[in-house]
Amino acid sequence: MRGLPIAIVLAAAALALANAGRLNPYWTHVAIIAMYYGILAASWSLLAGYVGLFSLSHMAFASIGGYTSALLIQWFRLPIPLGIVAGVVMCCALGGAIGWVCLRMSGPYLAIFTLGFSEIVRITISTEDEVTAGMAGLHTHSLLASATRLPYLYVAFALLALSLLLMGLLVRSRWGLFFRAIREDEQAAAASGVAVARCRIVAFAVASGFAGLAGGFYAHYIGIMTPSVGDLDEMAKLLVMTVIGGMERLPTAVGGAFVVEFLLEWLREYGQWRLPVFGIVLLLTMRFARNGLVTPFWLQFLRLGEARVSPLSAAPTVPDKESGT
Amino acid sequence: MSWDYLLVQVTNGAVIGVIYALIAVGVTLIFSILKIVNFAHGDLYMLGGYCAYYVIEYGGVPPLAAMVVAMAALFLGAMILERLMLTPLYSDATERKDEYGLIVTFGLAYFLRNTAVIAFGPFPLKPPSFIPGVQRIGNVIVTNDRLVAGGVGVALIVGLLYFMKRTIWGQALDAVSQSRDAAAIVGINAQRFNSFAFGFGAALAAAAGALVAPIFSLAPDMGVLPNIHAYVIVILGGMGSVGGSIIAGLLLGESENLFTAFFPDPTRAFAYTNAFGVLVLMVFLIFRPQGLFGRRHLRME
Repeated sequence: MRGLPIAIVLAAAALALANAGRLNPYWTHVAIIAMYYGILAASWSLLAGYVGLFSLSHMAFASIGGYTSALLIQWFRLPIPLGIVAGVVMCCALGGAIGWVCLRMSGPYLAIFTLGFSEIVRITISTEDEVTAGMAGLHTHSLLASATRLPYLYVAFALLALSLLLMGLLVRSRWGLFFRAIREDEQAAAASGVAVARCRIVAFAVASGFAGLAGGFYAHYIGIMTPSVGDLDEMAKLLVMTVIGGMERLPTAVGGAFVVEFLLEWLREYGQWRLPVFGIVLLLTMRFARNGLVTPFWLQFLRLGEARVSPLSAAPTVPDKESGT
Repeated sequence: MSWDYLLVQVTNGAVIGVIYALIAVGVTLIFSILKIVNFAHGDLYMLGGYCAYYVIEYGGVPPLAAMVVAMAALFLGAMILERLMLTPLYSDATERKDEYGLIVTFGLAYFLRNTAVIAFGPFPLKPPSFIPGVQRIGNVIVTNDRLVAGGVGVALIVGLLYFMKRTIWGQALDAVSQSRDAAAIVGINAQRFNSFAFGFGAALAAAAGALVAPIFSLAPDMGVLPNIHAYVIVILGGMGSVGGSIIAGLLLGESENLFTAFFPDPTRAFAYTNAFGVLVLMVFLIFRPQGLFGRRHLRME
């Protein structure tokens, strides 16, 4: 009965999409932004959670994707989807290059290196204001000629679903196994015949590509790109979302992004206090529930179909929970 | 470009270099003992500045004494934080300690910075000068605040070097950083030095924050750039090398100020000065990760 959770997810998604028109414009907007963060959280968990490459330049790649698309469209009058694709290609190439350059770096060194890269991107974008309009913000073309936000919600949902599908396939393939082997012990993985270098470069390129996709969509949804899209505060927010959700599985990372984004909006009346509270939640999560707060619910949910059979015969299938992503 | 302008830049560079060195030495100390990069170090520096400010404003304490109070407060505060948050780093039950240290200190930075915005307000604050006025040497004008900051910074660094080389605690600290097991064999309680190193690093950052406050002003995000500069220095000087950090700090302070002075486009010089430091960091990480003076046993890999 492995199919039951999948069926429930599909049914819930269909039900949610069918009733999405009832949301008021504000919450529609929140849902779209939550999906934008969902793509970013999933792709960052691919990099940091699966391969153990703790990159702090993920939001910088989102900003590169957005600016690339916006500028190419401005200069060459490309159709917008083509611009977004160009942004994705750009991010893949740059991400692969960064992955190649820091092949020998581990843990904190990789984090510092990517932090440096993201600062250079931010400084360059805000200083070269003749090209990028700097802090004033670069106006971008809208993706859809629609007055309401509902069509954007469908596009965002489609992009999120596509990203999750592709990343899920990658993670369930042999590559996913290699990725987790590298995370646990890079040298042991290499000794067992995993092409560590190739895996690390591919992971960086793929994750950055999805960040670029999210950034490209964001640029043409919001209508303005500013350097702050890729700054460290945004990176910290993404980290909070992914870690609170559970960074070692794609669905829990997305769940974390949804929960945090909705709570941030819902608690807006408490003003600035929301942010440090989420900081504390992050610290408590790391201290006491390192698998993330969404993960236990997700694992319970995955076992829905199995528990029906019989409480006794369900016992031997317990190790199966580890393979469920 | 006049000769005097260059001299002013060199003087400013030396003062900033000393401040950078103070922050970076803390990062290096924490790295060499706890084996984590403290991403919240810039925010401890920010807290030190604010702490000194409030002690001056409400306690009526003279600025230099306020700096000492800030150092003591951050020393204790950081030790408590270390006990609360970082103890899993020393347990064998924790997998992937690098990752734990990174996320926790990054989260701590997020928490401290956002709390500071609420507690201290987003607007810049400026504490009173150490000694108002300026000194004039020839045509070169330097404010007293910069001289005090540089002088006190140098005194702290000399004190630190004395502590590391000549006292039993400093040598024990050095021993733990070289090998925990060997240190334990000769009877050093390595666990105790985890708290001590974290508190000590925080106290140095607090001193830097208090010294810088009258020159620049205090703002909740003032720690972000010095934090990155500290990483540049630590990588340049070699992770774990205190002496290397001091030299690299001065080197970075000077080269940044000269970079600003010589950059062809003055409107962009300031922005790219920060990028210049980061670029140095990235180049070193790629080609010479052990830095200029890195010790072999603390090398990457």
